[in-house]
Amino acid sequence: MRRSTTLRLAATAVLAGLAATACGTGSADDPANAGQTSQAAEPAAIDSGATVDVRLVLEPTSLDIASTAGAALDQVLLDNIYQGLLTRDEDNKIRPSLATKYEESSDGLTYTFHLAEDATFHDGTKVTAADAVWSLQQVTAKGSKNPDAAALASVKSVSASDDHTVVVKLKHRDTGFTWGLTGRAGVVFEKGTDFSSLAGKENGTGPFKLSGWKRGSSITFVRNDAYWGTKAKVAKVVFHYIKDDNSANNAQQTGQTDIETAAQADLLQPFSDKSKYTVLRGDTTDKFTLALNNASGPTKDVRVRRAIRQAIDNAGLIKTLGGAAKEVGGPVPATDPGYEDLTSIDAYDPDSAKKLLKQAGYGDGLKLTVKIPNIYPTEIGDYLASELKQVGIQLTVRQVEFQTWLDAVYTKHDYQLSLVDHAEARDLYNFADPDYYFGYDNADVQKWYGEAQTASSDSQRDALLKKAARQVSEDAAADWLFVSQTLTVVRSGVTGVPRNFTSNRYSLADLAVAKK
Amino acid sequence: MTLYLLRRAGLLVVSLLAASVLIFLVLRLLPGDVAQTIGGIRATPAQVAAVRHDLGLDRPLAAQYGSWIGGVVTGDFGRSVLDGTSVSGQLAEKFAVTGPLAVGAIVLALAFAVPLGVLAAVRRDSRLGSAVNALGQLGIALPTLWVGLLLVVVFAVQVRWLPAQGFPVDGWDEPGQAVKSLVLPWLTLALAEGAVLLRFVRSAVLDVLHQDWLRTARAKGRTRTSALVRHGLRNAAVPVVSVLGLQIAALIAGAVVVEQVFVLPGVGQMLITDVGNRDLDKVQGEILLLTGAVLVIGFLVDLAHRLIDPRLRSAV
Repeated sequence: MRRSTTLRLAATAVLAGLAATACGTGSADDPANAGQTSQAAEPAAIDSGATVDVRLVLEPTSLDIASTAGAALDQVLLDNIYQGLLTRDEDNKIRPSLATKYEESSDGLTYTFHLAEDATFHDGTKVTAADAVWSLQQVTAKGSKNPDAAALASVKSVSASDDHTVVVKLKHRDTGFTWGLTGRAGVVFEKGTDFSSLAGKENGTGPFKLSGWKRGSSITFVRNDAYWGTKAKVAKVVFHYIKDDNSANNAQQTGQTDIETAAQADLLQPFSDKSKYTVLRGDTTDKFTLALNNASGPTKDVRVRRAIRQAIDNAGLIKTLGGAAKEVGGPVPATDPGYEDLTSIDAYDPDSAKKLLKQAGYGDGLKLTVKIPNIYPTEIGDYLASELKQVGIQLTVRQVEFQTWLDAVYTKHDYQLSLVDHAEARDLYNFADPDYYFGYDNADVQKWYGEAQTASSDSQRDALLKKAARQVSEDAAADWLFVSQTLTVVRSGVTGVPRNFTSNRYSLADLAVAKK
Repeated sequence: MTLYLLRRAGLLVVSLLAASVLIFLVLRLLPGDVAQTIGGIRATPAQVAAVRHDLGLDRPLAAQYGSWIGGVVTGDFGRSVLDGTSVSGQLAEKFAVTGPLAVGAIVLALAFAVPLGVLAAVRRDSRLGSAVNALGQLGIALPTLWVGLLLVVVFAVQVRWLPAQGFPVDGWDEPGQAVKSLVLPWLTLALAEGAVLLRFVRSAVLDVLHQDWLRTARAKGRTRTSALVRHGLRNAAVPVVSVLGLQIAALIAGAVVVEQVFVLPGVGQMLITDVGNRDLDKVQGEILLLTGAVLVIGFLVDLAHRLIDPRLRSAV
């Protein structure tokens, strides 16, 4: 054991240098601009028998999407295997799915969903309104263990008016209700399903079926030839779980994979031949959030929190990490409702930061500790420490296992600073909940957020969310270092590849391979 | 011999029982639990507490240990709380990768360490002997991870003879691909393990070379090579087999690194993932079985000693 641990440590340093010689860095193109937002149109002749190999990063811990949390489950299972009444498209717009259309009553309290009439589960059973009603009731039931249960908290009752019509009544208007249905809370299971039986298998309604799961390595889907909608254009998709970026790069370069998701911006050199590869640049809602404990410690003082924000040059950090990210300045990313550019609030200004620290009584220096899960690039911690050092804050970086982070920071709120990627879309509610680990408690924000939820129009909602987000940023409730962008390397001849939000869902509906 | 075997078997059972307590308790010192993995960062504390209760994680430790060890005695090593797979089933699946990886690496290591070690000892004063010795030192000094990465760059990315990473999705159903996937990992591990063995073989043979009985054998008319092969190697084997036993145990640890570098779905990778998810029911079963394997290897090494060296057979 001694040998392996020391070696791992020693070799970490070597890794970077070797990767540089192996794959080449310092591309003539500025990596900050790498990637395109459009891809080739679907070719006239497609190979409907094709297998597509896709590199993903994180493997699901279980396939039981009704009980087990984790974006890795949503990523592969939603839209491909399981379907909700509604879904989202590449721009995070709400779209029909198992419900081919729906109506909202004028008071916003009743929603009527019309299910696809010929939809079937993978075991051959027809999908009826009774299945949808039962599935939603499992989420809204008291004591529900669905990790996404909060998404349907406004539901008063669910009923079926005929075999293909579902009626949902709400307690109050809820501008987030249809969005909630696009996630796992809206998934339709066969009535009476024992969720614990779904840990390693599935019975969904989607265009793909599970064919195998080699734990620790890959998940294989095959086309569902009995699918009720437009059938998939490829016969088989194999997801390969490769955590290490260099290994993933090698796999793509040597043809072991056709698509490499989450490619590193500074490792793109081997893919510069545009006749062989396309590099796609996509949006994410991954907000790298530097949490500043609002409830206790030195960061309880808003001046200290503002000083920390002003001491960190986010643009410099983005450059250090290869350029595939955007500054955000607040809790709402550009693709979510309620976004506005807040980067001018507490912008980079180390002199002002020093003054604020002095006013707060820390003119002689301040010692702080940041807890960072070890799944993120170590450069971030180093960068934060060097930036804060310039204003007199001595930052100790503690790399922790993600489980340790969950236990210490998330559950016990035992932290001063913490860094985590909040990947979820539309999660401003975390700043409207004083019990959340941020410890941010502002009655106005809570009121505005609540009003936004029950607003009578989207524009009214967006105005309220903007107001709340601005206040959260002005109070320096946290520092939003950046919102990542995601790069996908695609072998030529493969089209219809997801580009945006790829770590949250990876719909294979349009994926196609040109006939050779 | 029977008495010896009985004593050793008894010792094995007691050691395993002690190991099970230690494994169980040490894993419970880790912060966090599987209920939090299931609930993630959206579940409410009440939901997480409910999951914890359903899984029996709120029971006293003694009760939890009792139900685990009760299962182990009847041959049930437990199941994953997350995906429901059995420990023995998953270990068997992952050993289909780690087993051939370790065995292949040891065979390869022996194949070059024994002849080269003997050569280095016999020709210790020549340039060849010093060169082999220096190579052995270098092999020990080079980090496994670095060697692995270098091999990937040369043989997978540049000349493309072998896959850069991974194991075939259909495993040993594609034997050609499976073997190809293991060639670079074998080389990587064999180099690290072989270099250590080479040094032990060299020093063991050096010891033997100066023994009176070897001179006697030569005085009886045997050539140096014949004397060394007939008498010397058997004597030199005693310390080498001890080291080999230790090396096989160390190999399991070394395999963790190699599995990471080559993205092989083996035992090491599985353990890291399961500990990360706090799937402790599965981890404790896996570690207990591995501990058992190491103890059995120790036992077999002892037996091998007795077969090689008759002087040990009289001792109990």
